[in-house]
Amino acid sequence: MSNNEMARMKFYCDDQRCIECNGCSVACAEAHELPTGVSRRKVITLNEGVEGKEFSTSVACMHCTDAPCEQVCPVDCFYIREDGIVLHDKDVCIGCGYCLYACPFGAPQFPRDGAFGTKGAMDKCTMCAGGPLETNSAHERELYGQNRIAEGKVPMCAAMCSTKALIVGSADEVAKIYRTRIAAKGKGVQSAPYGWSKAYSN
Amino acid sequence: MKKYLFLSIASLFLASAAFAADSQIWDAMRIQNIYGYGQVESLGLGPLFTMLQANYFAQIFLAVLIGVPAVFLLHYLVIGPKVFSHDGKKIYAFSIFNRIVHQVAAISFIVLIPTGFIMTFGSYFGGGEFVRMMKDLHGIATISFGIVVIPMFLMWIKDMLPNFDDIKWMMIVGGYLSKEKKPVPAGKFNAGQKSWYWIATLGGMVMILTGATMYFLDFDIEMVRSMTGLSQIDLLRVAAILHAFFGMLVVALFFTHVYMAVFAIKGAIHSIITGYKEEEEVEILHSSWYKKLKKEGKI
Ligand code: HEM
Ligand code: SF4
Ligand code: SF4
Repeated sequence: MSNNEMARMKFYCDDQRCIECNGCSVACAEAHELPTGVSRRKVITLNEGVEGKEFSTSVACMHCTDAPCEQVCPVDCFYIREDGIVLHDKDVCIGCGYCLYACPFGAPQFPRDGAFGTKGAMDKCTMCAGGPLETNSAHERELYGQNRIAEGKVPMCAAMCSTKALIVGSADEVAKIYRTRIAAKGKGVQSAPYGWSKAYSN
Repeated sequence: MKKYLFLSIASLFLASAAFAADSQIWDAMRIQNIYGYGQVESLGLGPLFTMLQANYFAQIFLAVLIGVPAVFLLHYLVIGPKVFSHDGKKIYAFSIFNRIVHQVAAISFIVLIPTGFIMTFGSYFGGGEFVRMMKDLHGIATISFGIVVIPMFLMWIKDMLPNFDDIKWMMIVGGYLSKEKKPVPAGKFNAGQKSWYWIATLGGMVMILTGATMYFLDFDIEMVRSMTGLSQIDLLRVAAILHAFFGMLVVALFFTHVYMAVFAIKGAIHSIITGYKEEEEVEILHSSWYKKLKKEGKI
């Protein structure tokens, strides 16, 4: 990608480094003052108990290429920023759940705050980029959480990750770090980062 | 009875409130969700749902919404309605119980179908508060339909079982392609009405179950999961696909039903309001039933 083109933002969780401390998940919930029952980021452990194969990784919304959630939404409330961040408009969302059925990562969640405890507007990771409302307004903060990207800050989860397993940035930068780490380790073939094949087509 | 109803409704609310604590989708189960997505060994329901919802469902609903009424408009213009004398004798066809059950179902459908369409074409309505309200109405109408669907299923099942008349009826499409008034082979209900009965009751139950699955979203239906071997998220995908598929059938037959009752057979709708059908109408359109009633000396 050339420099004058908008960089494409990606998440990368290095499963060799993740120590399952859940710090990212807690930091996210606190930073955005999420409603109870919503956890935008979650640490999961795969192949639990299988020797040599067990690993932990942190997942949230991956901000996919050709985002499936955006394709299925009956009210078209998603919009994809030039830098690839997938956001949605909570004032338009009807809480139908379709985006969850389409999502490969189980990212969309639904607080039960509609009438009679029905599913309210969908909530998911915004890569700390807020929503369609006025940037850094109280209304935006209340509905979507902090807009750290607008302030030039790293998303909360990656900023506080103690082992620097969780990284977020432009595709180029992330790829560079990923290659450096493999080279430094100097052994074995590492498969692509977990979830990438589903989330990113380039 | 009231107490039972209250308890079951209250427990449903509790179940949906408990979801945060013990989630079938966002907790440990999230791993299965991610793992199963589009993998060769999985059913690939995620990509399947995405493909269908993104490219086909709304388009097919639109085709049904325009196509079915268009065919009937053509039928009305070319062949025209059947008109039977409303001055002759009347035959008592539907008890007060039949009529009440039918009316509750009818009102429910009059709410369910437009609100379903509004959700399906939600982007044309701009989403937001209005479509959200329609979604809530859709859920409320499901409750009234749910109360009458089983009584309706039971009260008519004896008359709705298939028989030889149905094959003969199908061969001549119920006589609706001609203007002649020739006796049509059919009992109390003809093959067309029977098809609608089965789609409305059994299909309607599928609609209630799949709709409820999506409504409760995270409600642990352990039994269904272990029976089908599906994870909760795949169950939701199946529910969404079935809801759309059966929704199309229900809508297409509902339109047909309304056309027949209101337009194609002039005044037929009165029978489900007053309980009485016109003798001439029965003689022609339900000739086997007419003969049976005659033999039994009921007319
Ligand atoms: C027998 C008829 C029907 C019944 C009993 C039924 C029931 C339900 C229920 C209980 C829900 C969940 C509502 C919620 O989440 O708040 C639902 C959702 C939905 N239904 Fe229906 N429905 C019926 C017919 C239809 C038809 C004909 C259509 C389309 C034209 C339709 C389209 C939808 C859509 C788009 C949703 C959105 C998914 C959701 O909100 O979860 N439904 N239905
Ligand atoms: S991870 Fe899920 S919610 Fe996020 S962009 Fe991809 S499909 Fe949409
Ligand atoms: S829940 Fe909201 S964002 Fe998700 S598909 Fe439905 S309307 Fe769109």
